[in-house]
Amino acid sequence: MKLEAMAVHLPDVSGHPNRAPFSGVLTLVDEPSTKPPSGARGHRVILTRAAALAALPSLLGMAVDYAPAWDGHDARRKCGIITHADVEGKRLLVAGYLYAKDFPEVERQMRQCLPGSMGMSWELADAHVEDMRAEVWTLTRATFTGAAILLRDKAAYRDTSFELAPTRCRTFAASAPRATREAPAPRPNEARKESTWKVRQEKAWAR
Amino acid sequence: MGTLSENFERMAIRMEAAASLFERTVAMLEERESARSGEVQKIVAAVETSRENELLRKLEAAEQQIAELQAQIGTQVGTHGEVPAPSARKTVPATTTQFLAKQGISTLESIEAGALDAALTGLSLEQRIAVKAQLLRAGLAG
Repeated sequence: MKLEAMAVHLPDVSGHPNRAPFSGVLTLVDEPSTKPPSGARGHRVILTRAAALAALPSLLGMAVDYAPAWDGHDARRKCGIITHADVEGKRLLVAGYLYAKDFPEVERQMRQCLPGSMGMSWELADAHVEDMRAEVWTLTRATFTGAAILLRDKAAYRDTSFELAPTRCRTFAASAPRATREAPAPRPNEARKESTWKVRQEKAWAR
Repeated sequence: MGTLSENFERMAIRMEAAASLFERTVAMLEERESARSGEVQKIVAAVETSRENELLRKLEAAEQQIAELQAQIGTQVGTHGEVPAPSARKTVPATTTQFLAKQGISTLESIEAGALDAALTGLSLEQRIAVKAQLLRAGLAG
């Protein structure tokens, strides 16, 4: 298996409230799309491996967006960022972060939806088609301008996927103080102060 | 005065026609240039929902029309007791005939609806509509 990877390294921030890591399969390379993509004039398309590899740098730093009905793209609803892109076998894998605090509805949908029901879709600009008269268009050059999270059956490639990491660091960080409040552990310093205060009170009453 | 006004009116009509022709020519040239260069400004790997719905509606309408025509023919046969004369036009484009032949439909005279639907599954909605329309026009799917 051949692996081609590329990444933008963001500094680790433990318990970041607005970062929810995700991973997904954005598309398949050297495989015809299951359905004709929008803008391809009814033709199914093949994104060649060479074109995908050449376009990987353009994918990093691009946003993921969503449409409220989860059925397409809305470039003005950018809810996350792509930081990693790999071509592994025929799958173009991506990873990044969702802005979970800014878009709680997106995180909720991802956590509540049926496993495997969500997919991804790319958006390409300046694509070059080898032969526009061909039944299936072969894309030999393109620039990634973004990606969308959508229902898998709305994606032109059926075998895409999208999933959030099981839990976020923030969950642990946020839950820890709550647990502390519910069952406070005895603190030695406070116990000593309390006993000192009691002794003083007893002396005062005695007087 | 009247002649001048008529002249202006005529000129305006001609200019309008020329502008329209010019617009069409530009659009055609752009399309041709795009087709020749193979450049596409934007493609999105999501299915076009509204377009798909529109095509589905068209397909449904076409299928309904076919069913109505079939019913009409059935009525005619029942009334007159004879099979109506076949449509004068029985030409289907060669590409369509070849495609159907590849799918196992070699005789176009008696196509079963089920077999036709099965043969067309590999095509896009638009293409399915086009093939059915061609068959309908040729009087082969009625």
